[in-house]
Amino acid sequence: MLRVPVLLGLLSCLAGDPTPISFSVLAGFTYTEGMTLPKEVTAVDEKVVTIRGFMQREVPGSGPVNQFLLVNEACGCNGTPKLNEIVFCTLPDGVTMDILPGVVTATGKFYVGEEKEDGVVIMLYQMDADTVK
Amino acid sequence: MTGVKHLRILLLVAIASPLLAFWSSWQDPADWAKDVERACTSPRYGLRLAAARKVATGGAAAVPAIREFMQKNGPNAVPAALVEAIADQTTLEAVVLELLIEWAQNPDFYWRAQAMRGIAQRAPKLPGFAPELRAIFARYHDDPAWLMRTHARFGSMVLDGAAAAPGAPETDPRAVVKLATLLLAQGRVPPLQPLFEALADERTFLGDPWGQRNAQQAHQALKNWLGEAHPLPEGGSFADKETAIQQLLAAASAKSGQALRIPAPAVDPQGPFAGGIEILSCKHGDLFVRWTEDGVVHAGLDAAASVRLPADVWARLSQQRAQQSLDGSLGVVVCDAMRLSWVQPKVHVKVAPSSLPAATANWLLDLAQALDIAGQPRLAAALSTGLKQFAAP
Repeated sequence: MLRVPVLLGLLSCLAGDPTPISFSVLAGFTYTEGMTLPKEVTAVDEKVVTIRGFMQREVPGSGPVNQFLLVNEACGCNGTPKLNEIVFCTLPDGVTMDILPGVVTATGKFYVGEEKEDGVVIMLYQMDADTVK
Repeated sequence: MTGVKHLRILLLVAIASPLLAFWSSWQDPADWAKDVERACTSPRYGLRLAAARKVATGGAAAVPAIREFMQKNGPNAVPAALVEAIADQTTLEAVVLELLIEWAQNPDFYWRAQAMRGIAQRAPKLPGFAPELRAIFARYHDDPAWLMRTHARFGSMVLDGAAAAPGAPETDPRAVVKLATLLLAQGRVPPLQPLFEALADERTFLGDPWGQRNAQQAHQALKNWLGEAHPLPEGGSFADKETAIQQLLAAASAKSGQALRIPAPAVDPQGPFAGGIEILSCKHGDLFVRWTEDGVVHAGLDAAASVRLPADVWARLSQQRAQQSLDGSLGVVVCDAMRLSWVQPKVHVKVAPSSLPAATANWLLDLAQALDIAGQPRLAAALSTGLKQFAAP
C-alpha cells in the first residue's frame, strides 16, 4: 500500500509538476530574428514551468499590473535585456498585482516563439502566470 | 577645456566620416522624429527595441531628432535601449560621437555608462584622437558607478593595448567579470582566471543570486570565445557544475596557454541576515549593506567588510527600524532604486528617488552615524551620500 506522502507525490506528478527553467537556459544563446531556437528552449513550449526573476513594468509607472516583464537583473544598468532575456507575463483576466521587489518565482504555462507586431519581433517568451510569489 | 577638445575631435572626425553612411540612411527628418518617439515611448518593449535599432542605424541622420526629443522631454526620457543601440554601432560620424561624449559626461544621465562603451568601442578606430579620448577615459577610471568605470577602463585598454586595468584595484566582482568579458569579445584575451572564479560563484544579496548571474555572464563569454573548442555540443548539458568547470578549464587552458586553476566555490558569509539595504544607482554607484540579528553589519556585494555595532546602539537602531512604516513600492523607478528588506517586522520595499519617507531617511542617517563611530567612516559616508537622492523632499 502506498504511504500518503508517496501517494501525494505521485498525484502531483500525474497532474504535471511545473518544470523549473532558468534564464541561464533561456538566455544562453545569442538570439537573432528568425533563427531556429535551441532544443532546450523549445522543449518547454506550452509546458507549465516555474522561473525566478525580477518583475518589471513594460513602461515606467505605478499601481497594480495585469502584465509585466520577468527579467534576470533588477536594474537595467548592466545592459538592456534582449528578447531572449525577458519573459512577458500575463496574469489571469481581471487579476492585478503590485510589482514585487526582489526575486520572485512565477509559475504558469510557458510559450516559446517569435511574436510579431508591425512586422517586428516583440516577444520570444510568454507566460500565462498563475502564481507569482 | 573639454569642449574645445571635443570640437577638435568633431571637426577631424567629420572630415574622416564616410559620406556614404549618411546617404544610405536618408529618410525624411519627420520620420526620424517618429522613430525616436517610438524608441522612447512605445508601450511595447519589443517595438521600442526595434525602433531603437533603426534609429541607431540611422547614425548622424537621426541625431537631430534625438536632440529634439531630449530638448522636449529631458535626457533621462531617452531609454537605455536607444543609447545601447547607438553604442553598438561602429560608425564614426561626428555628431554621433559628440552625442555619446555629451551623454557620458553628463553626471545626471542614467545611461552614461552605456554611452561610455560606445566611445570605448570606437576608440581603436580613431587613432588620431587618442589623447582626447584617453583623457575622457582617464577621468572615469575610478567612477563610483561600477559599469561606468569598467567601460572607461575598457576604453583605455583597447586604446593603448594595456594588459592591466588602469585605476584603483577593482573590488566589485561584477566589474572584474564585465571587463574580462568585454576584452574577450573584443578579441583580446585577458587573464581568464577571474571568469573561472565567477563560474563557481554562488553568492547572493538579500535573495538576489548575483553570483549565479555573474557565472552566466562568464560562461557566455567563454562559450563565444571558445567557439568550436567549447566542450559541450550544441543543445547538450554538463553532468554537473564541477564537471562543467573542469572541462571548460581544460579547453580554455589549451586555447589560451594560461595556467588556470579550479576555483573554490564562493559562498555567502556567515548569516543568517536579518535585513539590509541595496542602492542601485547608475549615477552615483551601488551600495550594499546587510546585518545579522545581533548587529554585525556587512558592507559590499561580497560582504568584504564587516563591523559589530555596540549592543546598546544596535538595540536602539533595531527599535527605531521596527517603527518604520513601509509597504510596497514607493515612487516610480526608472533606473536608480533603493531596496529595503528586513524580517522583523517583515518589510520589503523598492524606493524611487525622492520617495523615501523622512523618518526612514533619518533612521538610515542614524545607522550611518553609528557605522562612522564604529570605525567605518567610508561606509558611513557612502550610505549618507547614497540615500540623498532617495529622501523625499
